[in-house]
Amino acid sequence: MPRDDDMEPLERLLNLVGLLLETERPMTFEEIRRILPAYGGDNLDSAKRKFERDKDVLREYGVPLEMRGTDVWDVEQGYTIPKERYYLPEIAFTPEEVTALFVAAQSTSEETAAAQGVRKLLYGADGGILAGAETGPLVAGSDTRGARVIAAADAAGARRRIRFGYRTSQGVSSERDVDAYGVVFRGGHWYLVGRDREREAIRAFRLSRCTTELRDAGKGTTPPEGFSAIDHVEAGPWQDVAEDRAIVAVAPGTVVLVESTFPGVERRSERDDGWIVVAIPAADEQALASMLLQFGADVEALEPPSLRGEVIRRLEAFADA
Amino acid sequence: MPERRRSPTTAERLGRMLVIVPYLIQHPGTSVAAASTLFDVPADQLRRDLDLLFLSGLPPYGPGDLIDVDVDEDGNVWISMADHFARPLRLTRPEALAVSLRATELLATPGIPEAPALASALAKLRDALGPDTLGDPTGIEAAAAGSPPPHLPALRAAAADHRRVRISYTAASTGEASERDIEPEAVFASAGRWYVVAWDRSVDGERVFRADRVSRVEETGVGFSPRGLEGAGRPLYTPGDHDVAVRLLLRPGARWVAEYYATTDVVAREDGSVEATLPARQTAWVARLVLRLGSDAEVLGPEELRAQTRAIAASALARYGR
Repeated sequence: MPRDDDMEPLERLLNLVGLLLETERPMTFEEIRRILPAYGGDNLDSAKRKFERDKDVLREYGVPLEMRGTDVWDVEQGYTIPKERYYLPEIAFTPEEVTALFVAAQSTSEETAAAQGVRKLLYGADGGILAGAETGPLVAGSDTRGARVIAAADAAGARRRIRFGYRTSQGVSSERDVDAYGVVFRGGHWYLVGRDREREAIRAFRLSRCTTELRDAGKGTTPPEGFSAIDHVEAGPWQDVAEDRAIVAVAPGTVVLVESTFPGVERRSERDDGWIVVAIPAADEQALASMLLQFGADVEALEPPSLRGEVIRRLEAFADA
Repeated sequence: MPERRRSPTTAERLGRMLVIVPYLIQHPGTSVAAASTLFDVPADQLRRDLDLLFLSGLPPYGPGDLIDVDVDEDGNVWISMADHFARPLRLTRPEALAVSLRATELLATPGIPEAPALASALAKLRDALGPDTLGDPTGIEAAAAGSPPPHLPALRAAAADHRRVRISYTAASTGEASERDIEPEAVFASAGRWYVVAWDRSVDGERVFRADRVSRVEETGVGFSPRGLEGAGRPLYTPGDHDVAVRLLLRPGARWVAEYYATTDVVAREDGSVEATLPARQTAWVARLVLRLGSDAEVLGPEELRAQTRAIAASALARYGR
């Protein structure tokens, strides 16, 4: 019950939210003060300061506190919390969907925004189902702090221009100035895709290679017609949906390793010596030759002849060393 | 729940009340314990905050205007007179983006059983929150997932039920297949690949296995008591006392090695290359990695690794009749 000046701040805030949600018309501070004795007392300045602090707390938690004219003449400004901006809209989730969101929000990172967001969605769900879903995170997440990925997605969604320091995979560092268009998750990494203003080209940046925070630099631009962020993040050369197939013989015990390394591998036949002949989708012969060397003497490149020749050339460089 | 957390600020307490109270109103009779687990709030803090809720209400704050909170002797919560808190606060833009990003990570991993439900939940969320909260929904994408490892369901089931299984496993470090009796405790995905954390009885130690290199899973009919091995978020390689410290010079084309593996003592050189130390239980796989990197890398030590690399290159050349 609102009594006096020294009530708990949480109680004061709960009353303030309730009052401003239910009020028919915006209320001035004077009116709020008359109704909520927590802001009363003789010292107007200290009451005002308290109210200002409380407003900040509400906004920090996303409570949409607005100032509006108290009547059509806008003579006086008052406070209100519009219901349509405060309340979560009705979303008819199935129990499976809420459980899936709950599982997704389980995270190994310090970033709690996803968990906080999902908790807001639980009110329509059955707690019994969820208790069983708490088995710890299923996915280790990316190599980038959640806050930076959120900042990148935020900039891309709002079509902002951002600046940041960046180090390429080759170790070259520079300052980048980019119109953010989208974010892409590939192979455990988050990438920001956008227009590099200096290079006048669309580029992808692995967020774990940013050397500074992302800084907002004003309004950005709109991506070109038909733009798709994912087209700008390269897959490994052997992951391409290449027409070409390299034919490689693999020692029986190594087939599992080869299959887990190259997506799209097909077993073709078995040689007399027990080795398995496989076909690997290959767009980039150099990259494939390099990858095959990782299997040492347990693979033999058969076709095309240029691939075989490249593997031999690389091996000879080592044997001669 | 470990009691290491600092005490929450008033803002945090308000934020969680605006989320927990709607749940308690929608689910009358929820126990304090259940709500405490679900919302990750210590039970004593939750009780204290509910006591304060009891003191709040709407004007004119007569006895009939205050929120009624009743916690019965079994610890079940009943809330009434709080219609204005019957629905939660909207998700903020960072929260909605975070949910969307986490879901996208999960959906990019093949073999997540919850994936279809997650995809439809995400679509509903985007529709309901609209572009103001979520921005342009086409701006968040993930690369198409491959196919899940064939034995993933069997491994997940064994971990969930604490059953010891015998697996055929091909280790990348040796390139050899072996039979092992393992006690799987956690199964998780990282960077699109699935891993199994288990106690390997054949070496009597903790090991992390890649699920796609398991070619067979056989029941042993034996259960086990979990040792509490760490799951998702752990380093994928557990350094051991007998590891060899391999020192590599990585030129720009091979710098990714320092990022990809758990390397230490990384020193950048002026020409853009780096020196890094790679701990390895066995060096054969490092020798093959060095073959792969070619002129982009150089072994600085130990000398035996250089010899091993030459030997593997020579035996591979023999395959080509050289």
